[in-house]
Amino acid sequence: MMKEGVIITKIGIKQKGERKHFQIKLPKDTKFIIGVEYGGRLIDRPEMVVIEPRPRDEGHFTPFFKRNELIGELKLQSCEEANWFYSADVLANDVNLGLGDFSQSGFPVNDFSHGNKRTEEIVKIDAESTIIQGWYLDVLGKTKNRDIKYEVKVYVWINVEE
Amino acid sequence: MLKATKKRFDIKITQANSKVSETFELEKNIVKVHGVLVTSDKDDLLYYRGTQKIEINKEEFFPDNYESKLLMSGINVSPKQRYYDLGGVAPGNGRVQIEYKDLDDGRTVFTPYRVSLYLDCEMEDEL
Repeated sequence: MMKEGVIITKIGIKQKGERKHFQIKLPKDTKFIIGVEYGGRLIDRPEMVVIEPRPRDEGHFTPFFKRNELIGELKLQSCEEANWFYSADVLANDVNLGLGDFSQSGFPVNDFSHGNKRTEEIVKIDAESTIIQGWYLDVLGKTKNRDIKYEVKVYVWINVEE
Repeated sequence: MLKATKKRFDIKITQANSKVSETFELEKNIVKVHGVLVTSDKDDLLYYRGTQKIEINKEEFFPDNYESKLLMSGINVSPKQRYYDLGGVAPGNGRVQIEYKDLDDGRTVFTPYRVSLYLDCEMEDEL
């Protein structure tokens, strides 16, 4: 019988533009890698990473949409296959969550109150070797031009044979 | 006859960067657990600071350090779809253990808060 499980790996980032190589060990009885998702937490003070509003440029159209803040790039590779099987831009909260909602004055739109249901990204990879190679590149610190401490968590969902 | 029922269990987090572990017991007539959901009276603290391990019948469903935000649903999710689908787990001895960890996050200031664990269950009607 197949059973689902999840392996959690923490990646700590301390310096701007930091590049990290890491390995994720899977249990020996893993049959497939079935999904990947990520999360994270900020260790530094918030004023270090606040998104500064763009200065108003008179006479130019200011777009309603704001850009989501890019935190970093994440890539995963299985040992027995060439090339990455997962590559993602790690983004901060969805800053356009409240777009088009005109009731914001009483109930401000936040990720924790209005967020969508989170689901993993589905992949299907054989897990014959029990190591996944991972690579992470910091973009947040590079954009702000300072060292920002934070932690990214990578969740690898697996199918295990019982 | 089987009928759907929802269970709620609360834990209190009174100290920053602490770990709280509690075990709850389900009624004997619960035959399946279909889903899990976590909420709080201070959603932002749970969202940014919380991680937890959840075991049902000594079987680990979410390991240590699994972020609470991945088990939360906002009001944009329709009420019938808010639970994390476990696919109908047999509760066995009926013991549900939650090990919750609060960890500082740069975006929040700690105040005591409540964490609620909701379970979407199926129970045998005794009548």
